[in-house]
Amino acid sequence: MNILSQIGRNWSRFGLLLIIVAFWMFFSLVSNAFLSEFNLFTMLRISSVMVVIGYAQMVALSAGEMNLAVGAIGGLMTMFLGGLMEAAGIPTIPAILICLVVAALVGMANGLLVVGTGINSFVITLATSSVFTGIMYITTKGEAFNLLPADFVAFGKMRLFGLPISPLIVVMLITTILLYFLYRNTALGREILAVGANRGAARMSGVNSSRVLIIVHTLSGFLAGLAAVMMTAMLASAVPATGTDWMLPSFVAPALGGTLTSGGNVAVIGTMLGGLLVGSLNSGILMLDISNFWLQFFMGVILLLTIGLDRLRAIHAERAIVQ
Amino acid sequence: MTKSPFYKRLINVDWAGLLLLVILSVILMSVISPAFLSTYNKYVVLRDVAVTLLVGLSQLVVLAIGQMNLSLGTIGGLSVVISGGLMEAWNVPVPLAVLIGLLVGALCGLLNGEIIVRTGINSFIVTIATSSVFLGINYGMTQAVPFYNLTPGFKAFGQARWDFFPYIAVVTIIVTIIMAIFFLRTIPGRQILAVGGNVVASETSGVPVNRTIVMAHIISGVIAAIAGILLMARLGQAQPTIGQNWLVPSFAAPIIGGVALSGGSVSIMGTVLAAFLIAIIQDALVLLNADPYYVQFLLGILILAAVGVDRLTRQRRQFE
Repeated sequence: MNILSQIGRNWSRFGLLLIIVAFWMFFSLVSNAFLSEFNLFTMLRISSVMVVIGYAQMVALSAGEMNLAVGAIGGLMTMFLGGLMEAAGIPTIPAILICLVVAALVGMANGLLVVGTGINSFVITLATSSVFTGIMYITTKGEAFNLLPADFVAFGKMRLFGLPISPLIVVMLITTILLYFLYRNTALGREILAVGANRGAARMSGVNSSRVLIIVHTLSGFLAGLAAVMMTAMLASAVPATGTDWMLPSFVAPALGGTLTSGGNVAVIGTMLGGLLVGSLNSGILMLDISNFWLQFFMGVILLLTIGLDRLRAIHAERAIVQ
Repeated sequence: MTKSPFYKRLINVDWAGLLLLVILSVILMSVISPAFLSTYNKYVVLRDVAVTLLVGLSQLVVLAIGQMNLSLGTIGGLSVVISGGLMEAWNVPVPLAVLIGLLVGALCGLLNGEIIVRTGINSFIVTIATSSVFLGINYGMTQAVPFYNLTPGFKAFGQARWDFFPYIAVVTIIVTIIMAIFFLRTIPGRQILAVGGNVVASETSGVPVNRTIVMAHIISGVIAAIAGILLMARLGQAQPTIGQNWLVPSFAAPIIGGVALSGGSVSIMGTVLAAFLIAIIQDALVLLNADPYYVQFLLGILILAAVGVDRLTRQRRQFE
């Protein structure tokens, strides 16, 4: 069974890579501009943000939780960062650090509510997402911050080594390595997965599941805040609508990568590839000259297809074991 | 399957506290702002209730089987642009256009239900995906441009009122009564509650589980379509964005009304009262000249408060 699931999982990752390559080939055949330096730059940049959005949901899913407030935290933190830098005049680096700490605290509030009330994370984060968005609009009156510091704007436009590589990609890769390390090599990572797989069993074997859930929501909030910082740098302004369309990609990226929504399992590299696919589709569909509005449609269909295929594979694996 | 448990659950007066809250907020508002009891303002509140309640009922049907429908907003939007488009572009008569709109809702619900039943994937992920599909079709077809030239009679119906009573509320009342009778008196309604209560038990006692799940999703789709079409009539235009902000209220109305997400029980009366409470809060913020964004904030707090109170009372009952 172990070998089978191992092969199954590697296949899904390999398959995902193939799908990405196939999409890239298709888009570059259809449009010359797809592999242009500029498009590669913007595509990899938006993909990096999508990957981190996916991670914010992935850590919640790995513990059998959900965070419907990923987008709302993203919107709140974008505007908070914009306010810190533009209205309060705080220098870029301290502003980013304050923003990330507050994002973690906001996530922690979700965790404390989930643990304190014992109500499932779906309802809690649905309610808090409404609260966070409300706070954001009440405090900013829905007006964007367009005069961000020059160094912050330059960071979003920077190309490393003269190549179409944004520093945002580096941020994403470092996050990937840290998350991979967390799940692979630390006791906490294993505790998170244990809580996700079977809360009762984890508790009986001495895992403090309340602590784990609070940590997971804190981490999810932090990652949503990080995605917000990246998105703000990319757009060079803090826009209140940020995060309103994060719900779908936040679930698509981990689901494509093989992180199940039932908890107890995680695929960090898979989520990265999933986010990359979402980003590629984003810019590819723009290139195709068909309306951007169909992007939603394709993302939905692709999500259904991959989850359906995953399900089929699982059924086959079960049959193989029975035989 | 005996008769009394379901019946008891339905007439359970869990909503007594909520009724008190609604009455208190009406009294409070009429003291603070005399405009609250004006004919026009009462009309505005009822107009909001008419749509919010349907949105809540659409979610309620699916919650009753222990599932969710995150796509109800985009189902509403898709039904709106299709029936609005038929009226404007092809001059299709209103009854036929509305009927086709409802059919679209039913088909979307059928699709949700069939995918869930056939793949065994949880309803949350399926409906998140289909919601994106429905929205994509809607925007792809309309390019996000509304249809403004709806049939005059249809628009007139949406804005008509008898004193303070909006015509569109008649539709909502009929749907609400049908749903109450459906859950209380009909076999399919009971089967939905049975499946929500315990899938295995209902399967062994002969309930067609898969068919019941699909049916709940179809009903949810149709009610979402009705909500969308009423809103279209009221606005006088087929807005493609209709339904995009329904997600939170769709859960808020049943949850504040005391419906459990685990399925197996419904409270129509609770959902009705919750829809009133939400509409009164919205209206109060307008009358008090408060920032309209407080609605979002308060809605979130209200959900948290409702589930918190529910939790507390349940714990207390356990102690007794």
